[in-house]
Amino acid sequence: MIRGAVAIFTRDFKKFLSNPFVIVMTLFMPVMYLVIFGNAMGGTITHIPIGVVQDQPYMTETPLFTAAVEEIRNFHQPDKPSMFDVTIYSSEEVAKLALSQGRISAAVIFPSELSADHVVRVYEDSSDYMVPSLIEAGISSAMAGTGSPDPVAINRIYGQIDYIQFFGVGVIVMAIFMTTMMGGAFALIRDRELGIIEGYLVTPVKRSSIILGTIGSTTVRAFLAGVIIFIFDILITGVAVRRIEDFLLVLIVIFIASIGVTSLVVALASRFSTQQEYASVVAFFNLILFMTSGAFYPTIGMPGWLSWIAWFNPEAYTVHALRSIILRGQGIDIIGTDLVALGIFSTLAIFLGIATYRRTLE
Amino acid sequence: MTAVDDVSFDVFSGEIFGLLGPNGAGKSTLIRILTTLLQPTSGSAWVDRYQVTKKDEEIRGIIGVCPQNSTLDVELTAYDNLEFYGKLLNVEEGILHDRVMQLLEMVDLTDRAHMPVRTFSGGMKRKLEIVRAFLHRPLILFLDEPTIGLDPDSRWEVWEQIEKLNAERTTIILTTHYMEEAEKLCHRIAFMDRGRLIALDTPENHKRAIPAGDLIEIGFETMKEGLLSALTATGLVKSAEAKDNRVIISALNGSRVLPSIIAVFEKFSMPMTSISIRSPTLEDVFIYLTGRKLDAGNGDVPTGGGR
Repeated sequence: MIRGAVAIFTRDFKKFLSNPFVIVMTLFMPVMYLVIFGNAMGGTITHIPIGVVQDQPYMTETPLFTAAVEEIRNFHQPDKPSMFDVTIYSSEEVAKLALSQGRISAAVIFPSELSADHVVRVYEDSSDYMVPSLIEAGISSAMAGTGSPDPVAINRIYGQIDYIQFFGVGVIVMAIFMTTMMGGAFALIRDRELGIIEGYLVTPVKRSSIILGTIGSTTVRAFLAGVIIFIFDILITGVAVRRIEDFLLVLIVIFIASIGVTSLVVALASRFSTQQEYASVVAFFNLILFMTSGAFYPTIGMPGWLSWIAWFNPEAYTVHALRSIILRGQGIDIIGTDLVALGIFSTLAIFLGIATYRRTLE
Repeated sequence: MTAVDDVSFDVFSGEIFGLLGPNGAGKSTLIRILTTLLQPTSGSAWVDRYQVTKKDEEIRGIIGVCPQNSTLDVELTAYDNLEFYGKLLNVEEGILHDRVMQLLEMVDLTDRAHMPVRTFSGGMKRKLEIVRAFLHRPLILFLDEPTIGLDPDSRWEVWEQIEKLNAERTTIILTTHYMEEAEKLCHRIAFMDRGRLIALDTPENHKRAIPAGDLIEIGFETMKEGLLSALTATGLVKSAEAKDNRVIISALNGSRVLPSIIAVFEKFSMPMTSISIRSPTLEDVFIYLTGRKLDAGNGDVPTGGGR
């Protein structure tokens, strides 16, 4: 019994050692999890952009305003940089516009008088996770610091948004990635290992048809997965899609992301000959892209180097675009940048996917 | 490493052409070049009127290929496998269904048409794959080791299948390292060894080319002095030797010289316990040409010549 077990043990271990790439990835992955997951989830949220406005009528800045702004600017958690980056706006309208465009996370409107009858109005972007409660806590604490009697009124401009709704949007992106990275590409590598792809090559079917068919089928699968999760989001988490345009816009974003991710995955699957090597690379990609996408936790809470990755991360743009449409009801004017970024990513990925896949067909 | 070196031959329309040689002789490489899967580093090859590497797309339209390792999708049904390839092979949509059913009928798989190929035996899979290559009625059918790993019954069925397809005026090029397969099917056989073509002819001519001719073995109980020299003295036999109570005689035309040989035995009053005449096999031809056995170092081959 021992002899057989040792034989099998030796054989398995020999195979493990014969693939240095997989060894490195196996050890590398947990470390990456520690570094990326730990930083993405555990980071302290600081430098939340907020706007402040002195309510009219006013001649000069009132003592309340000056004192409160100073308090807010200086507000911080122990041993951390200040929590808020404060911008002073000239009017309520300008501040609210900036808020609706997502340039600031809250607008605070200060009354001219120090009295219990005059309310400090806070308008906050309630679609984010953690950030709204930090704003509320920070402002209450700052007002207490000024010693003024004015009460604080909180307006959540997108209503009450639960974490499940915040996270649910991120899961749409996860569905797209899972479908292509796990389903589509593994099938492609297995087909190649089994020689099924080589079978195509002796038929008159064009190389471009093989590429189009492969990328097309995986894209559609990813798209359907994304749409199904989107519908789950509506049914289970209770997010509301207000207009048909919003619904169509969501489909467009899901589609562009699907074709881009699929092409990237086809390129990866073409580069790696074995399922094992591919799996370790994809697990890494999945980790780094999903964690820095803001799907779990606001990107604002990430350390600088991680948000730098997020800057190149197509998933981050997808998550932002979907959240803008689904949670905030924003339109093409807000998600334009996301669409451009996604478009560039998808175009590059398509070219890369076609070129790399084609090479395996020659 | 040169897998195929300086190989030159023509295949005639309508024939079954065999590439015979041991494993690693370069047969599959040659097929891969002719089926446009591999680019030759030098030289030129023509398939019908199209030159390989220059008109690959046209070539793919007129050939059918059954590669050595199965490329069937075992998760799909037999019908789906054929229908899918029919589309890749540009079989007209209107006749595709009938064509698929006709081919399934041909290989006796009609009742299993809608079962996944995973559940098929090795022989059924192989037959399915061969007719898959024949969906679009190709001018030339390439079969790379069509019966490798099959049991004798399945092998027999595959052979019948190949002959049926050939009867439809399809030129067939097949590789094999089974002598009996080459002998049974091929009109002409090219022997390959170590990347080179060492002989090309019909099976009969190949055998005639062996100087030793037929082998006649006659069993005896006791040897008489002078018999062997008397045999060679007739001038009809090439050599005669005694070994293990048998006289082994080689002669060019065994059955014709046999009476004279028997006459010599009678003259010496030597009773014969057995007589056998054996024509040389392709195996003998290969040994003659290369000095090695065809399946040297390979355990999975039933050796010896068939009839």
